[in-house]
This record gives sequence, structure tokens and C-alpha cells, in this order.
Amino acid sequence: MPRWIPGGPSDEAAMLAEIGLKSADELFRDIPKKVRLGRLGIGAGLEEIDVVRTTDKILDRNRPYSKFSSFLGGRITTPFSPAALDAILSRSEFYTSYTPYQPEASQGMLQTLFEFQSLWVELSGMDAANASLYDGATASGEALLLCHRVHEGHRFLIPASLPWEEKSVLANYAAGLPIRIEEVPYDDRTGRLDLNWIRSAVAAGDVFGALVDLPNGFGHLDEGLPEVKGLLGGAPLVATADPLALSVLEPPGAWGADIVVGEGQGFGMAPSFGGPLLGLFACRQELLRFSPGRIVGATKDREGRRAFTLTLQTREQHIRRSRATSNICTNQSLLALGFVVYASLVGPKGLAEIQGRLAEKARTLASALSTIDGLAAPRFDAPYLSAFTIALRQGSPGAFLDKLRRRKVLGGHSLADPRPGQTAPEARILASVSEATDEKDIRRYATAARAATAALKGAP
Amino acid sequence: MTFRQARWDEPPIWELNPPAENSEAPTVPGVPEILRRRAPVRWPELTELEVVRHYTRLSQMNFGIDTSAYPLGSCTMKYNPKVSEALARRRTAAELHPDQPVETVQGALEILWRLERALQKITGFPEVSLQPAAGAHGEFAALLMIRAYFRDRGELDRRTEILLPDTAHGTNPASAMMAGFQTKEIASKDGCVDLEHLRAEVSDRTAGFMLTNPNTAGLFESQIVEIAETVHGAGGLLYYDGANLNAILGVTNPGRMGFDVAHLNLHKTFATPHGGGGPGAGVLAAGDRLREYLPVPRVVKRGRKFALDFYRPKSIGKIKSGFGNFGLDLRAFVYILSHGEEGLKAVSRRAVLNSNYLGQKLGAFLPRPFRPLVKHEFLLSGAPLKAHGVRTLDLAKRLLDEGVHAPTIYFPSLVEEALMFEFPETESRRELDQFAAAFQRAVTDTPAHLHAAPTSLSVGRVDEVLAARQLLLSWKDLRERPGNLETLPTVGSPP
Repeated sequence: MPRWIPGGPSDEAAMLAEIGLKSADELFRDIPKKVRLGRLGIGAGLEEIDVVRTTDKILDRNRPYSKFSSFLGGRITTPFSPAALDAILSRSEFYTSYTPYQPEASQGMLQTLFEFQSLWVELSGMDAANASLYDGATASGEALLLCHRVHEGHRFLIPASLPWEEKSVLANYAAGLPIRIEEVPYDDRTGRLDLNWIRSAVAAGDVFGALVDLPNGFGHLDEGLPEVKGLLGGAPLVATADPLALSVLEPPGAWGADIVVGEGQGFGMAPSFGGPLLGLFACRQELLRFSPGRIVGATKDREGRRAFTLTLQTREQHIRRSRATSNICTNQSLLALGFVVYASLVGPKGLAEIQGRLAEKARTLASALSTIDGLAAPRFDAPYLSAFTIALRQGSPGAFLDKLRRRKVLGGHSLADPRPGQTAPEARILASVSEATDEKDIRRYATAARAATAALKGAP
Repeated sequence: MTFRQARWDEPPIWELNPPAENSEAPTVPGVPEILRRRAPVRWPELTELEVVRHYTRLSQMNFGIDTSAYPLGSCTMKYNPKVSEALARRRTAAELHPDQPVETVQGALEILWRLERALQKITGFPEVSLQPAAGAHGEFAALLMIRAYFRDRGELDRRTEILLPDTAHGTNPASAMMAGFQTKEIASKDGCVDLEHLRAEVSDRTAGFMLTNPNTAGLFESQIVEIAETVHGAGGLLYYDGANLNAILGVTNPGRMGFDVAHLNLHKTFATPHGGGGPGAGVLAAGDRLREYLPVPRVVKRGRKFALDFYRPKSIGKIKSGFGNFGLDLRAFVYILSHGEEGLKAVSRRAVLNSNYLGQKLGAFLPRPFRPLVKHEFLLSGAPLKAHGVRTLDLAKRLLDEGVHAPTIYFPSLVEEALMFEFPETESRRELDQFAAAFQRAVTDTPAHLHAAPTSLSVGRVDEVLAARQLLLSWKDLRERPGNLETLPTVGSPP
């Protein structure tokens, strides 16, 4: 057993005596016999050396993506992490602290969160950002709820091309409201949203908001997005945007978005099997009082010095309870710290350069795959940055990706919803490059894909 | 102890090297003209040393468990073991993408599977999901499961109410509202649920009753069996808020107490770090009525292989991307592996002992509102200080000057001027005695000193009212609303 619990029997006995109890059992005498337990059936505790051995033995059954030619990506990416980033994230004054309820004791984290909010405001083109939400998908869910709070109606529009996980999360965030989520169809050639469909949907009435994504669920950039706001008849527009892409793309605020959300893990933080992630959230000033999450504001202390504190807390659950704008208590402060440290280490030019290199590699990959019989790569005729969709003419994504894996290539992920009763229009894979991708990886992908498609010829 | 926090007057990062105006945005292949960024991202270009020094200085202006005792009630600020940090940083844990083929993530799935099994035993429920990102997220998901359950039974139109005690964490009513329920508060009697009031309020409109046990007054709800019978008798479900689980490991559990579903906070009981407000990690544990509704995918073991099972027709689906906060789940796994059964029982025994020991000591200075036998936390009322013009807030700020964090204050609201203390098991008797001495110095200090506190931190008492009035929330605000800047001296100017 570890040395994490102080004292021992004599220490315990002395403390018990001081509070007038004979045994530790008396501490629990208010718990009825009827609900008491016997043994749990959990094994004995281990010494640290054995904990490390046991855990490493299990972890060694994982094969990190860095051991493959990996083309995994999408909303969750596989960025390179500068050593200085982990050095800061390992400062235990940060990672062992709690939500900064006492601002005087927590200026370090509060100022960091103020800087984080400032950075997301710059990237998104919004007026104000909060101090983070759980992940990009739940940030979209909170954005839907905010739209409903500020605009009449029962219909919310989302792209049919949105990743299935995000659709499912949105459906859950909407489950408590008397509303319907409707999917905007896309053009089969370009993947672009059908703007005419949006126009008629809004004309039919009752639309309280719409969500668009950048890049979209296919990895592509939709050149029609700047027109969407004009079609909504005043209803708020939510944009889910990739922060790295925003280093080279016009902020969604410039083309009418009222709320900009996103997934921030890709700023230097390892995906860690999908969590913890970082939900980014920003909105226009007039929506702020209805918005979710913690917010840090600048103020001064009694002596007139600059200081920071949590503010607008009257929106929050610990004050407003059932009338709160959200149930957020814990958020992702440590990852917000990572986000702003990464951006500061890399710098604004560096962010754009990373995005530029990824865009070039993605082009190289597309051209290497474009000659392969049995693949459409890219599937859509539309611009893209780091990722694009591949369509398979034969075989399932699972079979194709499995053949690639055997040649040490993680070729991306299937876009199909794996839940029962879901059918996919076509076998599609999202392939993404990363900073680690080199020409050898791309050649290996092409070779493996050529062999896989040949083998799958005639498969259903 | 004389305590002085670092005071660096560290400016916001953009003041270290203000970015040049009017520079050109870089061009990148593939970006269509209509979406191309016109102006570059406005952020400073800095050296690595400048960035490292900036955030190292900021870290020195922050309390953490590693620097200070942190007795926030209901937050369970226990030591975050370093071995967990080391293991979570392994490439075999961090460099895993959630879309990797299951053959390449067998270890991660095994960690999740084994942690789920351990938590089943700890909670007394047959099935556990590790998907929620945090406790409140787990509450929301559980309430969606309750919705789906009553929808399947054709009772959702009628069962629209969630009942909760007036001592409930604020997240409970907020989560219920988000899930589309109305909430109704049940009164407390002597700090516990007023069973008569509960009996009067349950009806065929009741979807569920949300309860934390021990509750936020630190008291065990000894009538839990009767509470469960009352709620179930009306056809409602019983929800367990596991924020306070640290008091009862191995002694009792929500399954045995009659609950139908529970959330736990791995960042409380299972020692994963709070990260300055997050990430947390939530757990959903469900009994037979609700287990089919847990989020997908479920981690399953088929022969000797682990897999992800999406075939759960009744599942509520996904509540976040990925499979939960795996990095935190791994730390919780390490924590349970380290303690084992006896260790976990020792955790609760010592946490409850600490709380009663310190409760008795501090009870000499301020009244304790309810019965003295508490579990993981205890309450004091700062009401008597009001006669001297002193508020609980002043006492909290004065405690900061002793180099310890303040307790949770003004919660629960049924206690006037409440102070809520929780000293988890990792704090030694010496630390408790030192805290008691610090508390005595603080509570017996002069009103003038209490009003002036804190004086030893990087800033003095922060004007929260001004923050809410001027709403300067970003660098953009500071640039564009210069009128407000008059109140904010730049760095280096004398206070």
C-alpha cells in the first residue's frame, strides 16, 4: 500500500481519543446495518514498483499511432507536442489546483484563462469566449441550447455530413427540449451544403438556429458558408471550426457566425484515446448573458492593481441552480492552459506554417492515391487543408483499413455510424495527415491501398 | 508560519512583445479566396524562454494541493499521486487515437474494462460507463437515461419532475433542467432530508429523486432505506450524486442503499488532478432498470480480446467525443491498484476521522449547525462574526494569508454564513493541527485585519463587482474599450 495515508494505528487511536470515540467503527455508526457491506472483492494494494510494472504491462499491449504510418485525424488530431508545453502543464501549482473560487490565491490560473479567452476571441472573430467546455461536440450541444434560449422556434439545422458522434451528442443535448434537429443535405459532387434547401427550410418557418462546420465532416472547406447567415432570417448561426485552420481562414465571425465552437486538443496535446479534450466556445456580446460555462474577467484589486476573477457567475449552476444557463462546473482549464501555451510557443506565423505544411502533405497524399483503381480520393471536388474523404468502390471501410493496418498503415477512420439500424450511403474514410507524416508514409499508404483495393475487387 | 506568495506583476502575454499591426496573412495552398484570412492572428511572437518564464511565474501565483492544504468542502482535494502522472504520460497511453483499430488499443480497453469492474464492486451496480467528461456531465447523461426509461414505459408525459433536497449541489437542478425536467426542492430537517416532506411531494409526476449521501452538510442520510422505499413506491427512480463517495468506500454503496443510477467524480474520490477547474472524469453506474440505456460504445471482453460494442439498441448514444477522459481513467485505475481493498477502506476511515477531528477543533470557535458526527466534511456557521461586522468572506480571505486555501463558503444555503471544510485522508494530523492554529489566529484577529485580508498574496482583495460591471473579458475588450482601462494600471505603475 502506498504512503499516501498518514499516521498509523497509534495516530488514529490518539485522534479518536481526542474526539471521544473508542474505535474507528464508531465513525460510521450513523450508517444503518442494512446497507453495510462485507468484502468488495478488490485485490490487495500494490507497492509503487508493482503498480508501474502491472500498468506498463497492460499499456504495452497498446500500439501507439506513432509506431505506424498514421493518417488518423478529423476533429481529434495527432499533433507534435513541444517539450516546453509539457514542462508547463507539469507545473503542479497549475494541475493540482481547483476552480479559482478565491481569485486572490489563483491569479496565475485566472490570468492564463483570460489569455486563453483572448486567443479564442482572436481566432474566432467573436466578442467573448468562455474559459472552456468539455470538448468540441459538447460545445456544439451547448451552442444549440444557447440558440434556443435567444430565438423562437422548434427546428435546428445541422449538416447531414456532420460526424455521427457529433450528431448523437447534439441529439442528447436537445433531448430535453421540444425541438427537432433537421439535416441539411449536401451536393454529391462537392459536399457543399444545399443552400436552397436551407432557404426553403427557413421560409417554412420555426428555425431557431443552424450549425455549420469548418472543415466539414468530410474534411473539406465549404465555400458556401459565408452565405448561410443571410439565409437564416435573423436566427443565430453556430460554426464549429478547427483552431489550426483558423490560423489561415477568415474568422467565422467575419462571415456572420454568432457562436463559434471547436475542438482545441490539436494544439499540441496528445489525443489520449479521446480524452481529455478541450471545448472552445465564443459568442457575440449580446448572447453572453445567456451563454454557458465559466468566464474570467479583468478587474482590479483594492490597491488598484490589475487582477482577474471569475465573473458573470449569476448565470451559473452554483448560484442560479435550475435557472442556470448550463450545468457546467468542471471544465477543461488545464487544457485551456495547454492551448494558449502551445499557440504562444509556436507563434501566429508558426501556426499558419504548420497548417501550410499539412495542406501540402495532404495534396501529396491525394495525388498518390488518385491513380488507384477502386478509390475516389478525394471523393469530393472541394478545397481541403489537412484531411479529405476517400470513397471505396468495393469492400467495406473495415476490411480496407484492416488490410492497411497489416502493412503498418493506419489509413484513417470510417465515416459510418456503427450503431444498429444505421446505413451508410457509401463506404467512406476520412484520411488526415499530421506533422509526423513524411513521403515514405505517403508511399506506404499508396502501396498498401493499391494492394487492398486489388484484394477487395469483387467484394460487396 | 509566515507566508508570502510570489508577486511578479507579470503582464498579459501580449504585452511582452506586442504584435506588429498591418502585417500580411500567409497564404496556404487549398484555401479558397472567399475563406482566406485577411489579417494574421493577432498574437505575440515570443522566444521559448519568454513563454516558459511567463507561465512559470504565473504558476507561482497559484495555490495547488502540492503547495497548500486545500480544504474546499465537496471538492475532495486529496493528494494527486505522482506515479499516476508518470504513467499517464507514457507514449503507450497518450499516443492513442480514439479511431485506432481495436487490435492496436487492447491495453487501453483493458484499463477501461478493469476500472469498470472495480467501480462496479465499489458502487454495487452491475454496469459502469466511463464516458462522462465530468460529474455534472454524468448527471446530465443519467437524467437522459431516466428520460429514455420513462419514454419506453409510456410515462414520460406524466413524469416530469425531479425532486432534490435543498442542500443539493447546484449542478443537480441545473442538470435536471437541461434534461427537460422541472425541479422541486425537498426541505431539510436537522441537515437531512425531511422524510415527511418527501412523502408529501412524491407522486406519479416524480421521475426521480437526486441525492448525495453523505450529503453536503457532511451528514449521512440514515433514513436512506425509507427514502428509497418512498421514491420507488411512487414509481420514481433514485439518483446518486457520487461527489461525496470518499466517505463510504467499502462501508456502503449506492447499489446497496437502493439507488438506481449514480455518477462518480474520478477527480474527487479517485485522486485525479483537478487541473485548475478541469479536466475531470465522470462515471455512470447503473442498476438493472437503467443499464441498457448507458452511452455507447460499451467496452466488452470476447474471449481474451477486448472490443467496443455499439450494438445497444436502447442506449442514449454518445455524450461526448471519444470514450471518456481516458487519461484520467488511467490515473484512477492506478489509484485503485495501489490501494487495493484495504487501502480504499482506509481512505474513507481516515477521511472521516480527519473531518471529525478538525470539526471538533474548529467547533470551539464557531457553531456547528447540526449533529457532530460527520462524514467527509463538516459545516461551521460564521453568523456570530456578524456582530463584529465580519463576514464569512472576510474569514476566508484571512485564511489565505495563512498560506492555506479557504473552505467552500456560502454553501449550502440553509446554513447562515456557511463554511464547509473537507480535509481528505492524505492530510496528516500535523497539517490539521496547523490548520486549526491558523484558523484560530484568523477567527480571533481584529475586524480591521479581517477586512484588509488578504495581504500576502500576489494581489489584494479582488473587486468582483467591478469585473461584472465592466465585463472586460479579453485582450480585444482591453483594446477596444479604452475608457475602462483607466481603472487598470499597466504593469510597473505604483499601486
